[in-house]
Amino acid sequence: MKRNRPLKTNLNRRECLKTAAAAGAACFMPTIVPARALGRSGAVAPSERIVVGAIGIGSRGDYDLNWMLKEADVQFVAICDARKVRREAVKQKIDKHHGNSDCQMYPEMKEFLATRSDIDAILMATGDRWHALASILAMRAGKDVYTEKPSCMTIAEGREVVETARRYGRIYQTGVQRLSEGNFVTAIELARSGRLGQIQTVRAHIAPWDAAEMSHAWLPEEPQPPKEEVDWDAWLGPCPWRPYNSTYVRGGWRNHYDFHTSCIGEWGAHTFAQSQAGINALTTSAVEYHYVHNNSGDGMVAKFANGISMVLSRGDKWWHGSCGMRFEGTDGWVACADAYKAPEASSPSLLADGEKLLADYMERTGRPMNHMRNFLDCVKSREQTVANPDVMHHSMSTVHAANICMWLKRDLKYDPIKEEFNDPEANRLRTRAQREPWIY
Amino acid sequence: MTKSITSLACLTALLLAVPTVSRGDSKSSSEQEAKLIAVLKSSATQLEKSDACRELARIGTKGAVAPLAALLNDEKLAHMARYGLEPIPDPAVDEALRAAAAKLKGRLLIGVIGSIGVRRDAKAVDLLADQLKNADTHVMHAAARALGSIGTTAAAKALESVLADTAAPNRLAVSEGLFRCAEALAAHGQRGEALAIYARLNRSEVPEQVREGAAKKVHALRQEEGPRL
Repeated sequence: MKRNRPLKTNLNRRECLKTAAAAGAACFMPTIVPARALGRSGAVAPSERIVVGAIGIGSRGDYDLNWMLKEADVQFVAICDARKVRREAVKQKIDKHHGNSDCQMYPEMKEFLATRSDIDAILMATGDRWHALASILAMRAGKDVYTEKPSCMTIAEGREVVETARRYGRIYQTGVQRLSEGNFVTAIELARSGRLGQIQTVRAHIAPWDAAEMSHAWLPEEPQPPKEEVDWDAWLGPCPWRPYNSTYVRGGWRNHYDFHTSCIGEWGAHTFAQSQAGINALTTSAVEYHYVHNNSGDGMVAKFANGISMVLSRGDKWWHGSCGMRFEGTDGWVACADAYKAPEASSPSLLADGEKLLADYMERTGRPMNHMRNFLDCVKSREQTVANPDVMHHSMSTVHAANICMWLKRDLKYDPIKEEFNDPEANRLRTRAQREPWIY
Repeated sequence: MTKSITSLACLTALLLAVPTVSRGDSKSSSEQEAKLIAVLKSSATQLEKSDACRELARIGTKGAVAPLAALLNDEKLAHMARYGLEPIPDPAVDEALRAAAAKLKGRLLIGVIGSIGVRRDAKAVDLLADQLKNADTHVMHAAARALGSIGTTAAAKALESVLADTAAPNRLAVSEGLFRCAEALAAHGQRGEALAIYARLNRSEVPEQVREGAAKKVHALRQEEGPRL
């Protein structure tokens, strides 16, 4: 993949090589350059490596980290995490992978971003509450970002991610990896091809646990660990303060309003983007939201300006597996979910040339069926990723609007251009005041 | 004493248990707002007052401004006070935030400045410009970003006046403010001013990503202008 700008390299190493080369010339002694530095012996030359740091690596982040470490042109150099046990675990993994002890640990983000000018990109896998702000801070500091989903907690946060990426010319990818998985992309391309006739409905899976309305309650207070062990203030970041409870930091933050985007966002962060891709609505959001009288949003119809309805669906009526989507047109339907061996359609003939559909997509876009690789390629080429800020902001705005519809218990209309509702109270929920000093 | 604490707890629970009022039900909304304000003024717990602030964020009016603003200097409730204040569409909020900014320091001041920026209060430009000289760099950074969010010509001038003399570690914050100003000015048709900001950033001693971003914007704006005849 062609690279339009040089990656940052370890400046100390570059200066040392220059000095060594000059000294060698003066003394008429040959300079021996290791094969690895020239990209031989299967190694990637330092000038072609992407130097990466990580922020907030828990269980999902560990999955992403393992994925990234498979790529030969990635060099991991640092971990920043509010929890000491996680910093140490990641350092151990990375040092073992690279065969050195170079991975540095940082308990605090601002110092990390300000002092590591050698880092090209950040892998961000904090809890949902930090995704937008940490991405904004990283991009402002000149880093490209791969962040876990959801990309934002509010419509306003999503807009600021988009603007920051544009401002600083950063490459950004959200971990909506099914946009880079063959079965899902085949189904999306089939929907877009016209062979299903006019698409009238797309069904998007929402998580089968939790509800749309979330809790504001505090878990019982526990003794706060030393800051070096868990920096609770930093863990909370921009969210309202509450007393420490170890359940939150062990992953029990879901279903708390301050930290989560509900059962709708939990899977909608994936499935709404997938659905909008198949109905050519990646640069917009749904304009109508119809309230349903249940606690999850199951069956809610969200309508797009192009007339297509997206129906939020829980359970396994329309698919088998998680993060499902189903496009229904006048001439047929196609569906896909996790663990499908292939998409399923109303007629086998619709998928007869599924491989060609996928191959054509890959040739047209230049995108591999590897979400992490897509990000890394784009870091080098400076092309937009498949789950770039605009795509994520518009699909997440549909998520947030659906949530707001459920919270207010009434139908809503949304203008995706003005990013406003027809409802003053709904407009107040487009943003939340951030807790000082974590304000973008 | 125990009886009165129990009674207060019961009262607070009852007040917060009132279901969300529907739009257009202004009498219910006023009644609910009054109850929430009563919680703020009582000796209710921090959680109960925080929850009252959350609800006032949705339904609060001018009447809620003073009780919320009274908490802006409360270490434990200042953020939730802003949580309640920020969305209320009344200029009384801006007056309250400006008044608080004149008195606060440190983290609480950073929070208030942040809210002033979110609300894009053009009347706060002078007080924010003063904060660009604050020895607390976190306050200074917050002021730079808030001026950027306000995005007026005056805000841009305040930022440009300090750019050259600002210590290197602080120039990214000032640059961020200037980027925001340029975007706002361009969106309002003041492209010449926006172009001037980007051009200045492109030739200043600022981080590389700032110069790159500014250079792209200069190019984009000039392309939009078209060829000069």
